[in-house]
Amino acid sequence: MAERIITAVPLPEFAEIVRCYQSMVFSIALHFLEDRFAAEELAQDVFLQLHASLPKLKSEYHVKFWLRKVTAHRCIDYRRSRTISHVSLDEAPEPSIAGGLTDIFLEKKVRQFVATLAEKPRMVVILRYQEDMSAEDIAEALTMPVATVKSHLQRSLAMLREKMTRTIGEVAI
Amino acid sequence: MNAHGENLQREEDLLRQTLRQEDPSSGFAQRVMARVSESAGASEPARAVLWYRPFFGPVIRWSAVAAVSASVIVSTVHYRNMQRERAQGEAAKQQLMLALHIAGSKLQLAKEKVNDANQAQHHTKSSPSPSRSKS
Repeated sequence: MAERIITAVPLPEFAEIVRCYQSMVFSIALHFLEDRFAAEELAQDVFLQLHASLPKLKSEYHVKFWLRKVTAHRCIDYRRSRTISHVSLDEAPEPSIAGGLTDIFLEKKVRQFVATLAEKPRMVVILRYQEDMSAEDIAEALTMPVATVKSHLQRSLAMLREKMTRTIGEVAI
Repeated sequence: MNAHGENLQREEDLLRQTLRQEDPSSGFAQRVMARVSESAGASEPARAVLWYRPFFGPVIRWSAVAAVSASVIVSTVHYRNMQRERAQGEAAKQQLMLALHIAGSKLQLAKEKVNDANQAQHHTKSSPSPSRSKS
């Protein structure tokens, strides 16, 4: 990514930054909180905080890293500090996707599985598979050792395999 | 790739597919920008209630600028006049000193001449004339 020095950003340019990263921030929050309204509210708060912190960030790369880090920490704090009225995944409307019924069924099961993970392993899985981040980058974003990140990933995949095998059989995965 | 590796790859692909990015509801960026503008406005001081605000209206501000400029110009002119007067005074003093010096010199010269004349007269009186002694 081209490095561009970020200084005081006028509102139209900040709006462009919001449009560029809104899906990333919103999706991290959505996959973690499983609540579209709460995810959108949290994403708005993250961008408000970004607007205040932008003069301190050196480049677009730093902005992206800062957004992932702050969103992850805010999601964990949000979950810890509030009692969220959970919307059952069975009741939640499914996003329209181009796949068949099998894909929809599998995705629902995977979402349910991710929702059962503890806070930090869940965020590790989201950052790894939504954002395609390396274990090192995740460790830096979540302020934890790389070995812990790898351990969370391995255990999460093992649990997923076990649950999916028990539910629909290994062949279907 | 063995069966275990294939399964692992499939699991990871499934996670990527499930956890793909989604767009927030339409107008999300506008809502963020509205909140940014709102918070930017709220962070400014409540100007209307500041007691000193009337003193910083545009008319008074420009009047203050004009007054300061005028006082700077007047002070500069006054200072230059004082400097000129002081220089004229110095020149007059130098001229007076020169005149006094000249006058002193002339007076000294006149005094010397008077002294010389007195001495000559005295000399003439004290020595007898040769014609009178002979008679």
